[in-house]
Amino acid sequence: MTLQRGARTPGSPAVPDRRGLVPLWVVRSATALLAVLLGSIAWSGSLWIVLPVVVAVGAAVLPSIGVVALSLLLLVVAYAVNVPAGSPWLLVVVAGLHAVFILYLLLLHLPLRGWVSVAALRRLAVSFLRIQAVAQPVAVLALLLGDAGSSLPAVLAGVAALIAWAGWLIRRPGP
Amino acid sequence: MARAAAVRSPVWALAVIITLVCVVAGLVSGRPDTVALAAPLAFLALAGRAGPQPGSACEVRITADRRTETRGPRLRLLLAPRDDGGTPDPGRLVVTTLAAPGYPPDAVVLLAGEECPLLVDAPPSGERDVLAYGAASFGADLARPSAFVAAPPVRVGILPPIGATLARPVSRRLVGLAGTHRSGRPGDGGELRSVAPLQPGDQLRRIDWRATARRSADQDRLMVRRTFADAEASVLLVVDQAHDLPSSTADWFAAAPPRLAAGSLHVARTAATTVAASYLSVGDRVGVDDLSGTRRALRSAAGARHLEQIRVRLAGTAVVPRRRRRRDPVPPQGAVVVVFSAFLDSEPARLLRLWHAQGHVVAGVDCMLPLDRTETTAAQAEAVRLTLLRRRLLLEDLQGDGIPVIAGATADAQPAARLAPQPDRAGGLGAPFGPDLETGFRLLAHRAGRRTGQGSARRTP
Repeated sequence: MTLQRGARTPGSPAVPDRRGLVPLWVVRSATALLAVLLGSIAWSGSLWIVLPVVVAVGAAVLPSIGVVALSLLLLVVAYAVNVPAGSPWLLVVVAGLHAVFILYLLLLHLPLRGWVSVAALRRLAVSFLRIQAVAQPVAVLALLLGDAGSSLPAVLAGVAALIAWAGWLIRRPGP
Repeated sequence: MARAAAVRSPVWALAVIITLVCVVAGLVSGRPDTVALAAPLAFLALAGRAGPQPGSACEVRITADRRTETRGPRLRLLLAPRDDGGTPDPGRLVVTTLAAPGYPPDAVVLLAGEECPLLVDAPPSGERDVLAYGAASFGADLARPSAFVAAPPVRVGILPPIGATLARPVSRRLVGLAGTHRSGRPGDGGELRSVAPLQPGDQLRRIDWRATARRSADQDRLMVRRTFADAEASVLLVVDQAHDLPSSTADWFAAAPPRLAAGSLHVARTAATTVAASYLSVGDRVGVDDLSGTRRALRSAAGARHLEQIRVRLAGTAVVPRRRRRRDPVPPQGAVVVVFSAFLDSEPARLLRLWHAQGHVVAGVDCMLPLDRTETTAAQAEAVRLTLLRRRLLLEDLQGDGIPVIAGATADAQPAARLAPQPDRAGGLGAPFGPDLETGFRLLAHRAGRRTGQGSARRTP
């Protein structure tokens, strides 16, 4: 293509020229903040929280799957060790861990600078909610199991309800 | 057949690992809530078991956005889904990686089917790749990724701008048959050569009745007015495209692709276009050649369409190493030859001397921008200093031989130089050589006019 244009000032990279785009640094910041909040649940009251905070920020910025895996493991292991069984924080941590996982791996292959469209974020959110629609009942069932102990009827009722819910979700037409 | 699991995305692998860790930790500690942590990741691992999506074509394309007017100095492109007849999967996300020359890559994540206008820098003139890009896609649950596929870069050509009209020095050996310049031979024209008695061959309309009445009292002879023939000038523009030196000397040594800033080739294009437009505006003939000898010379012609041809030809000039030519370019007889070069070596100076000795009106246009001395090492500084010193000696020798050298960098051709905080003008080594383009051509026209004894171009508007 051959174009005609006047004098210009050189020296700026390509930028999108439309609305409805979120800069990647906002997504990175939100990801790191979410990981830090989850870490504060799992590492509550401990000075060791500095460690997952640093790793979470690194995982949100650096293109390294090792740091991402380390950050997720720090959250999971710390929850298993520090949070008592049957804690209602489980529902929050299940959703948060899933969200952090998705955001980490979305950012993993992206350059430091960039933009995400709101429509793409909305599509990610819909997919997130679809999986959470099954994961949250699983977490509730796990809490029930923890509370009911060896009560077989309670366990069977919970599993049956979960299977029924999952089956309904699978049979209904997609969006 | 290759196993799909071998090329699955890290999402699948990481989801499996975290799920196993949660399940093992939950079973060992007897805590079902720890196992439940892995539920969403287990679903992601199940979704990712399908493996990557095949595909070998880039899923997006970037073209010039012709739906809207360009606002400001940047080019407007449109990132859109590739039009291959199929409908994009609306549930997938497409990551387009954009890399403008000289900048780190950026990414734009869009839903499949979304469009996104982009603003990019363009070169001040010439043909350049303004944006390299490629795309990959994945599902909304980050499953079924497709491989990154690079697309051919976006290439644009910017026509060089036309500057203010310049004075037009011409040779005294004009050979054209129609034009606006006075030639030295008799013929139809506007400038009086002599008033003489009518002879066979004189046109009757040339009879000067007043002179006849004044000089031929007994009406025995008729007097006619004889004129000099009008002729067009012939101009050959020779562009040296062996170098394209940016104004920042640190960029002379950069290995990375240069940013889209003005360089000496842009100055050459702009100055050559301005000179061509000045001559073509009065009906002269202009041809274009280059010193690299890689393309055929643009034939000498006149007219507005030829100006567009010249601009397109000049826009297509890029850095081409000079190669050995079988013979030097041959200017038309009585031509004005202008060489546009940064004068880093002796070849342009040799040709100027050759054509000067053949009787052509010649001029060199120094296309170096005012330099911003930003070299970072002592070796670089020494190399720049020696290069500039040699260049200065070449240019001074040319002037000593009576060949004028004019600075080609006009105010609008050097935006980068205007922005440079401290251009190196100390000692003049880093500054363009000679008067500016307008003054230089006025002086050249004055000098050529003195040689022909007729002032400058007679009908210069």
